[in-house]
Amino acid sequence: MPRLIFVAIFLLVTCPVFAQEKFTINGIIKDASNGETLIGATVFILETKNGATSNEYGFYSITIASATYTMRVSYIGFHKISKIVVLDKNIQQNVDLIPESEQLQEVVVQAELDQANVQNTEMSTNKLEMKTILKVPTLFGEADVVRSLLLLPGVSTVGEGASGFNVRGGSVGQNLILLDEAPVYNSSHLFGFFSVFNPDAVKDVKLYKGAIPSRYGGRLASILDVRMKDGNSKKFETTGGIGSIFSRLAVEGPIIKDKMSFIVAARRSYIDVLARPFVPLLQNGGSLNFYDLTLKTNYNINRKNRLYLSAYFGRDNFKFDKTQGFNWGNATTSLRWNHLFNERLFSNLTLIYSKYDYALQFGKDESNQFSWNSSISNFIIKPQFTYFINSKNELNFGGEATYYTFEPANAVGVTNGKAVDISIDRKYNLETALYIGNNQKLNDVLSIDYGLRFSYFQYLGPGTAYFYNDTIPGIRRTVTGAKKYKSGETIATYNNFEPRFSFKIQTSETSAVKGSYNRMVQYLHLISNTTASNPLDVWNPSSNNIKPQIADQYTLGYFRDLGKARQYEVSAEVYLRNTQNQIDYINGADLLINRYLEGDLLSGQGRAYGVETYFQKKTGRLTGWVSYTLGKSELKVNGINNDQWYNTRYNQTHNLKVAAFYDINSRWSVAGNFVYLSGTPTTFPTSRVIEQGILIPYNANDSRNNVQLPSYHRLDVSFTLLGKKMKNGKERKNSDYWVFSIYNLYARRNPFSIYFSQNDQRVPQGQPIQSQATQLSIIGTIVPSISYNFKF
Amino acid sequence: MMYKLKCCIFLGWIAILFLSCENKINPTLETANPVYVVDAWLNNKPGPQVIVLTKSQSYFDNTLPPGVSGALVQVSDDKGKVYTFQENSAIQGNYVWTPATNEVFGTVGYKYQLNIQIAGEILTSTSRMGRVPPIDSIVYDTDKRTGSNDLITRGQFWAKDPIGSGDAYWIRTYKNGVLLSKPVEINIAYDAGFSAGGVTDGVTFITPIRRGINSSDKDANDKQLNPIVSNDSLNVQIHSITVEAFNHLNQVKVQTNRPGGFSELFSRPLANVLTNIQNVNTQGTNVQGFFNVAAVSMSGKRFKK
Repeated sequence: MPRLIFVAIFLLVTCPVFAQEKFTINGIIKDASNGETLIGATVFILETKNGATSNEYGFYSITIASATYTMRVSYIGFHKISKIVVLDKNIQQNVDLIPESEQLQEVVVQAELDQANVQNTEMSTNKLEMKTILKVPTLFGEADVVRSLLLLPGVSTVGEGASGFNVRGGSVGQNLILLDEAPVYNSSHLFGFFSVFNPDAVKDVKLYKGAIPSRYGGRLASILDVRMKDGNSKKFETTGGIGSIFSRLAVEGPIIKDKMSFIVAARRSYIDVLARPFVPLLQNGGSLNFYDLTLKTNYNINRKNRLYLSAYFGRDNFKFDKTQGFNWGNATTSLRWNHLFNERLFSNLTLIYSKYDYALQFGKDESNQFSWNSSISNFIIKPQFTYFINSKNELNFGGEATYYTFEPANAVGVTNGKAVDISIDRKYNLETALYIGNNQKLNDVLSIDYGLRFSYFQYLGPGTAYFYNDTIPGIRRTVTGAKKYKSGETIATYNNFEPRFSFKIQTSETSAVKGSYNRMVQYLHLISNTTASNPLDVWNPSSNNIKPQIADQYTLGYFRDLGKARQYEVSAEVYLRNTQNQIDYINGADLLINRYLEGDLLSGQGRAYGVETYFQKKTGRLTGWVSYTLGKSELKVNGINNDQWYNTRYNQTHNLKVAAFYDINSRWSVAGNFVYLSGTPTTFPTSRVIEQGILIPYNANDSRNNVQLPSYHRLDVSFTLLGKKMKNGKERKNSDYWVFSIYNLYARRNPFSIYFSQNDQRVPQGQPIQSQATQLSIIGTIVPSISYNFKF
Repeated sequence: MMYKLKCCIFLGWIAILFLSCENKINPTLETANPVYVVDAWLNNKPGPQVIVLTKSQSYFDNTLPPGVSGALVQVSDDKGKVYTFQENSAIQGNYVWTPATNEVFGTVGYKYQLNIQIAGEILTSTSRMGRVPPIDSIVYDTDKRTGSNDLITRGQFWAKDPIGSGDAYWIRTYKNGVLLSKPVEINIAYDAGFSAGGVTDGVTFITPIRRGINSSDKDANDKQLNPIVSNDSLNVQIHSITVEAFNHLNQVKVQTNRPGGFSELFSRPLANVLTNIQNVNTQGTNVQGFFNVAAVSMSGKRFKK
């Protein structure tokens, strides 16, 4: 025994002598042309085959044994850089990558590093490059982040004119949309035709559909993480565009060269200005427009500290005359502080304010009017840490606290000067979370990522909790009691553990199998009972009556790179998501300005499953992808559809998308996309019932979403003409390009909805009423457009 | 609702901008067995009261609904009075109660039970006659139409909901003697406002309800006609209804008032409206329709330029 102890002590003492000392190399990876940090760039140590990816702030860190190494840094669309590094102490190595070309030549999706697709544990994730977004043919030729996302597998919408988007059979309200970490509660301008993100100010777009890391939480279906540009830190630059619907202008530049920069980007629509001569409404003070302003500045204090301040403000305005109208918009602000505690511990502290509100006003004068507004606002504090333990482990941990204020309806009706306030009390909530997660490379074959998130939700006073009777499901529940709570009192609380796990098995140099499980919990509910989501939808917190939504998602996928230069990528993923406490509505639910709203809500379970396949060609003159999703999304709610499973409104069986981009020559390129989607479910009547001279459609089988609309398909093309590079033998300082686009090339009248009604004619007594069915296409024709874009 | 209506107006012209289009179609529908439809909206206006018993038709059957004859139809109140409705031999499915001289149907505050025996099945329902406020006046005003320079004349009634929440009303208007019965013309109130959650007890009816007595008609060019021209008359009747009836009519409105176009973005999916009529045999033929006994206040006025 004493000998054993001796050996042990000997080993302990001598081991460090044998072990090589380890050092850390870290730094920021930037675009050499404008100083923008690059997200997801790859740092690869050739000798050890260790790699790292730069994080959301361009930061990377690798800790390895002391030696001399060749470090290769790459990012798609940039020249690779190799550097010899003598690692005999901790080294800071910032890397500036040079763009291959500043033209809109490359079209890239999800190909951030040569073998990223098969070497990363990430799955169910799509990264859209801005270069791609700028090329996708769109309505009115306006590049748009959310409209481009719709071309990715598993992402869909119920139709033109619907706000938001649906991911893997989830509802619009189950997506967390982040703009520089700040939540955006309505991502749409103009009923979903455009999104709130100004492409001139966006740097990076990433969509998590599954295997969601523990640092994200709060929604069931997806996380859309949009990062804004920091602003050119080298030189002043102005970009902009003139289109048929709106114009854009962005100015960016250094405040202190390489230390501090800014970007200001604005958009404003002018359809109302153009239409004014033809529409009397607009001549009488009416308007129809939207605008947004995106601002960001950052200050690089020193090697260890950097500050970012971002803000977004946007609004849609619809006015019928000078005093009556309807408007909505988001405002977000986030202040972030990157701090490097030491070579391996990176931190970011974010403070956020975000608000979404809408307002309506009707009435001819002050003594007879009705005004109504509603909002959700929040303050968030979010400390996040990344500890780059060693080349095999990357630990993420941190927390998040969000204080919400809900204003369900602030409504006042004035009749002959007498005001009646029908406002509904505000609701206050606090959502807190702690998370930890580790990405661990076990060996050359197996990598795992595991984490846990703990979330805690409080419904706080002042407020009134209502209690409802139990009744037959499907019938309005009536209030049986109410209890008032004072400020500081807690009305209801919920807490949940949210485990996250994913793995990757490297099956060969070019292929991998990946799988994941994650639990997500959602404490906010988007209350929407209309055919499509719209700006009047109200967010409602969990309460003593509404339980938080919970989702468990399982995914399994196969990923493979093909071709000599690995220019092709194929993948197939299956997913299954079971959800609890899904909200549906009684027939005839009254969702707006109703303090007893909770009595009209039903709760049930959901399930969504499907398979997503994806094929992409990443390089060459012809690039693009084909994506096909076969899916199903269902709900089972007592009181609806005879208590049987029924398809959700956004269920889509087939979802095929083809996107192709072809460079004709150095100036002309063409892009096309084709989509084919199964029609979304809808409810048709079987019969008609006449009561008091009114024809009421009736479904005698009491079924929900019992039919499918006709399928949706559409082809769009666009031609891009790059401006001349040379002028009078000299290189031009400015660059510009034209986009000629045609949306819905073969003018298909894709159905948005089919509705049943009686003929509008007044029916003489004793005559039968005529019933009719009408199919509505929001865009029932070909829509050509031209836009001009410039940069100087 | 007012905001809905306004939304429709402006959404209508956005539709023009966006080149939306609508087609009338004839989709194939699921088949279903007919159900009984009981149209039993009774009131205390002078004159006979009618209950109509029909069967539902397949949706695109554009004929008059088939009346059901041979039923025994009775309404009784909670004080033991029984009103028997006799089948009208001229109109199949119409069952009529004829009052004695100076008699009207029902008393405010009484409860009523409907009993229909038909082909071995018993259909029942209950209701209660609520109170109704008087109409103070009807006024006409001429103003610019929203979004245009056209002048428009509209009527407006003035009345005040009595104190005590939970009253509900159906305001029914006869223009030049013709009942305005289009879906868009359904005008209902909970207290003086739109819904139970809206705290409008004991006040004057809110503007959109006061103005909700105007006809909605379009000319051949799809242009909205002026609801009131010189010499038109409006007869406004406030019918007291139960909260259940209010919910029923609210759903009828949602399901039937479909102006189309961009307003479809705000429309709700098709769902069956609630009925308060039950078949005693829950396995028997389904029933639709509604039973309500209303007290009525009314007032009329002619518009002279």
